[in-house]
Amino acid sequence: MDQSVAIQETLAEGESCTIAVECVSLLNDVRDSKLIGLVRQNKEHALFIYSHRRMAITGEDVTLGQIIPISYDFSVVEVSSPDELAVVGADTRVRVTFLEEELELKLPFGSHTRLFLSEVNRAWSDVCQQYPKEEPKFDWLTKYRKVSKGARSLRKSIGATTVKMSQMKKAERAHTANSSALKKEDESARGDALQSQEKVKGEVKDDLIRNSQPVLSNKAQMLGMPQFGLRDNLIKCELLKNEDAYTYIENYSFFLGTYNVNGQTPKESLSPWLASTASPPDFYLIGFQELDLSKEAFLFNDTPKEPEWMLAVYKGLHPDAKYALVKLVRLVGIMLLFYVKAEHAPHISEVEAETVGTGVMGRMGNKGAVSIRFQFHNSDICVVNSHLAAHTEEFERRNQDFKDICRRIQFRQEDPTLPPLTILKHNIVLWLGDLNYRISDLEVDHVKDLISKKDFETLHTYDQLKRQMDEEVVFVGFTEGEIDFQPTYKYDTGSDQWDTSEKCRVPAWCDRILWRGKSIKQLHYQSHMTLKTSDHKPVSSLLEIGIKVVNEESYKRTFEEIVRQIDRLENDCIPSVSLSEREFHFQDVKFMQHQARTVTVHNDGQVPCQFEFIQKLDEPAYCKPWLTANPAKGFLAQGASVDIDLEVFVNRHTAPELNAGLQQLEDILVLHLERGKDYFISITGSYLPSCFGSSLSALCLLREPIQDMPLESIRELSVKSNSPVIDSADKPQEIPKEIWMMVDHLFRYAKKQEDLFQQPGLRSEFEEIRDCLDTGCLDTLPGSNHSVAEALLLFLDALPEPVIPFSFYQQCLDCCSDSSHCRQIISMLPQCHKNVFNYLTAFLQELLRHSAYNRLDVNVVAPIFAGLLLRSPDKQDINEKRKVKEFFQHFLVQTSSDRDIHEKSPE
Amino acid sequence: MTTAPYNYSYIFKYIIIGDMGVGKSCLLHQFTEKKFMADCPHTIGVEFGTRIIEVSGQKVKLQIWDTAGQERFRAVTRSYYRGAAGALMVYDITRRSTYNHLSSWLTDARNLTNPNTVIILIGNKADLEAQRDVTYEEAKQFAEENGLLFLEASAKTGENVEDAFLEAAKKIYQNIQDGSLDLNAAESGVQHKPTAPQGGRLSSDAQPQKEGCSC
Repeated sequence: MDQSVAIQETLAEGESCTIAVECVSLLNDVRDSKLIGLVRQNKEHALFIYSHRRMAITGEDVTLGQIIPISYDFSVVEVSSPDELAVVGADTRVRVTFLEEELELKLPFGSHTRLFLSEVNRAWSDVCQQYPKEEPKFDWLTKYRKVSKGARSLRKSIGATTVKMSQMKKAERAHTANSSALKKEDESARGDALQSQEKVKGEVKDDLIRNSQPVLSNKAQMLGMPQFGLRDNLIKCELLKNEDAYTYIENYSFFLGTYNVNGQTPKESLSPWLASTASPPDFYLIGFQELDLSKEAFLFNDTPKEPEWMLAVYKGLHPDAKYALVKLVRLVGIMLLFYVKAEHAPHISEVEAETVGTGVMGRMGNKGAVSIRFQFHNSDICVVNSHLAAHTEEFERRNQDFKDICRRIQFRQEDPTLPPLTILKHNIVLWLGDLNYRISDLEVDHVKDLISKKDFETLHTYDQLKRQMDEEVVFVGFTEGEIDFQPTYKYDTGSDQWDTSEKCRVPAWCDRILWRGKSIKQLHYQSHMTLKTSDHKPVSSLLEIGIKVVNEESYKRTFEEIVRQIDRLENDCIPSVSLSEREFHFQDVKFMQHQARTVTVHNDGQVPCQFEFIQKLDEPAYCKPWLTANPAKGFLAQGASVDIDLEVFVNRHTAPELNAGLQQLEDILVLHLERGKDYFISITGSYLPSCFGSSLSALCLLREPIQDMPLESIRELSVKSNSPVIDSADKPQEIPKEIWMMVDHLFRYAKKQEDLFQQPGLRSEFEEIRDCLDTGCLDTLPGSNHSVAEALLLFLDALPEPVIPFSFYQQCLDCCSDSSHCRQIISMLPQCHKNVFNYLTAFLQELLRHSAYNRLDVNVVAPIFAGLLLRSPDKQDINEKRKVKEFFQHFLVQTSSDRDIHEKSPE
Repeated sequence: MTTAPYNYSYIFKYIIIGDMGVGKSCLLHQFTEKKFMADCPHTIGVEFGTRIIEVSGQKVKLQIWDTAGQERFRAVTRSYYRGAAGALMVYDITRRSTYNHLSSWLTDARNLTNPNTVIILIGNKADLEAQRDVTYEEAKQFAEENGLLFLEASAKTGENVEDAFLEAAKKIYQNIQDGSLDLNAAESGVQHKPTAPQGGRLSSDAQPQKEGCSC
């Protein structure tokens, strides 16, 4: 029932009606129906109060009366009246104050009113926050004031005895009254902010813990994205499904009554109708139609007959109980009152009311329905009072009215994310009213004859409603009790005589009561002939309805079981896999040798999973540099498997520490499942030491092949080689024998080899050479000249400290252009490094003498060896490379001092 | 009727530590499934379980990491201490060696978690009284000297298992309430997830929900 559209049409451009609500203004006990809208222009708000006729549909239906700017002096306070019994569902009374004017309004109970008030409070809060630095001017209201200058203004209360408070006090009071609402809004806003903030923090936290960035496939995304509110919905669904486990049925009596009063005022007691039951009913739901037939009621939806009939009903209720009015709702002449035994009021909640017109143009209120819905204990109940289209031949129109009412009456739910609730969505639907279905296909005399014989069974077969229900075109799923009373229409007003007018209408059961739902038993269904006020007779039905009541203890047990089930489901949905092996040992790993094993990962869990090897605490990668897992991450569908290759490969970066015994081939891989478990895979290996990756000083101390030495001895020698003090008993060799073997081989067989050092050797031959050097099993190196040459280069590259140690690097670059200075630096190298350098340069000079055959020259040799002998501790830039080359070139030119070394070499 | 709030307000991260074979995984299984796992294989890796409990009227979701206790995995499992709000340090009352190693586990816990982490000492296999190797009083004293909560429990019978997890959660919640645990710290192990604002009017009878976070 949103009438803001009508208000919107009266506004200028740039102004909008946020929300509108119909209300009753109270002034000296005079009730005046008003339409009040919250209008916004830029950042300013005002309340526009309109008079209106009928249901406001267009701008022409409303007339602007009063404008109340929402400024600092504005306030809206909820007040309670001692006249009304305060129960759940009572209408809201508010007092609107602006400067010296006060206006008391009665707003209908419901979420719409709450929304309206919260919007008004928010608008006022905005003004207060900006006070006093910024104050609204309301310039846009000027044009409306001119138009409404002649409008009737509110008369001040003459009988007011309250002394007007000062503005300051009023502001204080208003602030106090609104502070709780403000606080709630703040808490709500803060909660929302906190929630989104915590979500972000949670994500950050997960990153800190996992420190991984999985690449999600579509399936993983579906599973990985936490559904907002999914858990809530699961629990609600399970609670609904298991409702029988924690609720029991308790019967309550509902008195339903319907009376078309033909625009009359009450003249007689309603007790014969309302108090006709032996014991007082628990609930009264009383519907009236044609409360007021005047044009005023139709046009302005206002009638003095409402309080008159309301009072008559109240007086007619069963005298043996105390009743509270929960709700009254009216549309023109259609009114529904909802009374409950006072003791049941605390168990009523979620009361909402709604109206819909199906009259003129399908929308006017001369026909239509009013409806109240509420929750009583654990049952949802909806009561509809309808007045359907008149005239015998219009039964199809009545059917359509019914469908329209079912479709258009929509109750707003407290949870705004839920769609509106329609009539048929309720556990229990109680439908009463002047449904206007007639008796057709019978002559009036025949009908009256059957009535006089009380043959209602036969007569009922000609009833339109029965026939339409049998054909299932209307009121499908509804039940009506057996009719054993005579037709309720049409009588001469004030009598029990059938209509004696010239129309001489056929008697009919226009007034009906039906229901839909479980656990409903009708105790009586009757008309009340003693009431003669109208041309209809009132009808009543006493229903015994089984209401679902919650057993708190059972509910708690059921709830906890459901939560536990969801926890179990959540745990079952934690990804899980099985591994073919958890421990892998790599035997006799050698330098530059690949060894690989395979681990099969099988997804035996209940969900697909995203897996990834993750790094451990304080480690730069998920595994040691000599180890590789491939693939290191991936996706596994349920029941799928993947083979992961684990490969061990020791190169020049990792060999030194392994040779020196500072590192072992040991690692633990952590296989992580996204949102799930972690699995540890143990990797161990035995490494065979190699001269490749060993230091020159250590090798000079080795008199045997490295693999013939015990590991402890190798480690001792590695430590000893760092010591400047050398025991005379362990006099080191001048150069490592391994270098000697390779260079000697090349000297003997490769001096004239074409493209020496420029063509790669064979990997398999390299491995043989490596084994020969490390084990000393052969006197002659196997393999081709190119393989031996490449082995020499790899050896130099693998030295943990290059031939020219890192500490000399910068000096060499600084004096690269000064030949004598370069030689001076070489003379300062540690002894074995100096020996190796001189030995290699002498060898290279010899090769250069045979350049006619091997096609080597200084420009070819220098870049190759300079980069190996003089390595940068960091990355080299192009300028440094040039200097390194320049430095080394000095030593490729033969000098007289080198001649002696040359002559000594062939020995 | 007013239904209980379905969703949780906090997430607490727990880690279970202790020697191999003391029953860490069985404790977790008993807590989440209310069943005893008789043939429990050694945990090689880190298991993960969740459950929602109620602490002082608040729903709390526990995220529980059950670690491998073997010595060779010690270095790797240290990764999982970070961000734990609670630590269950478990020993086997029938094997004194598992009790003797507690000092080492405690050192790891103290070094690798934040100062506000609640550590509870659990003596498991309390149903095997005849084979008891560590007295209650001795362990109780160790716990008191080190500022730990302490309970003997049995994953087999379920005795005190629920209480073990609940006691630690109560302590964590208490730390949140008195402000000694900073929810904004990334590694506090606690995530605050405020309940979405309920629709409708606040009943005057209902106690306003106390905010656990002051920011």
